[in-house]
Amino acid sequence: MATIVHAVAGYFILLFIVRVLARRAGSQMTLFEFVIVFLMGGIIILSTVGNDRSVTNCTCAVIAVGLLHRATAWAKSKSPRIGAILDGTPLVMIRDGEWQQEVIRGMKIRPEDLEAAARTANVTRVEDIDYAILERNGRISVFPKKDA
Amino acid sequence: MSEEAFLSPVEDTVPKTGDVAVGEDLEFQRAWWRFERGIWIFFLLLLIADLLGLFGRGWLAKAKAVDQSQTLSLDYERIERANTPSIMTLHFGRAAIQNGKVKVFVSEEIIKPLGAQRISPQPESSTIGDGGITYTFAATQPPATAEIALLPSFPGAHHFRIQVAGGQPIDGDVVVVP
Repeated sequence: MATIVHAVAGYFILLFIVRVLARRAGSQMTLFEFVIVFLMGGIIILSTVGNDRSVTNCTCAVIAVGLLHRATAWAKSKSPRIGAILDGTPLVMIRDGEWQQEVIRGMKIRPEDLEAAARTANVTRVEDIDYAILERNGRISVFPKKDA
Repeated sequence: MSEEAFLSPVEDTVPKTGDVAVGEDLEFQRAWWRFERGIWIFFLLLLIADLLGLFGRGWLAKAKAVDQSQTLSLDYERIERANTPSIMTLHFGRAAIQNGKVKVFVSEEIIKPLGAQRISPQPESSTIGDGGITYTFAATQPPATAEIALLPSFPGAHHFRIQVAGGQPIDGDVVVVP
């Protein structure tokens, strides 16, 4: 029982901390951020299973986290607001070739991040970007200017 | 996006930015940034409180109690953490030692909710009754101390009482945090 309560608490604590840390997961994750993810996961597991390291206990904890994840995904599919709270919304970094300073500063985007995204989209110069959008998963979508 | 979106004709359902259907919600993002600034201040305060011992294992958590007749003084943690060991130390005064023995009563709250694991040194005898256990130790002269190792299992607030034979009781409260 305690394990399931701890797993539920751990899931939401981790979800919350990761959400407020920054939106730089998945394809944008650096080695520096891998350290954070593994360290936080390792710490939270200590309080989740406690001294009971039996297969039964760990299986129950994994199932509890799996069910929570499923419930969270369902809630996101039903409510765009919950989706925005949990994942954020896409943000436009370059609009019509113009930097959106508020977004750049707010999301602490480095020029190197955008240049890397531009290279991925086969755009060689940042000034050739028409739209750059920071997606919810941390990826940056780049749309080149039509005449570029 | 709800499942109904898949029943309607294939078209963009989110607001467009120029020609691109982005679904940007800058007002929400501004509110989130404000929330983030507040939450990081809250996290900082939380860490400072933790360093000070507001959640146990620190300066604010340590407590000392002395009975009026000076037979017993007690060092303990008024804030404990669940499943985290701690030590409660009993210092016996001269008046506590009678006929080469010290008798100390420990209430049930220390045994069960606060999870007394062992008492050191090993008492000569343990007598149950009156809502607790009375331990008897062989003793010579002060300074004389005994230690109770605690390991609370669950969060909660607990009131305890410890009394040496011939002395005044010491009442204390311990809060166990998750």
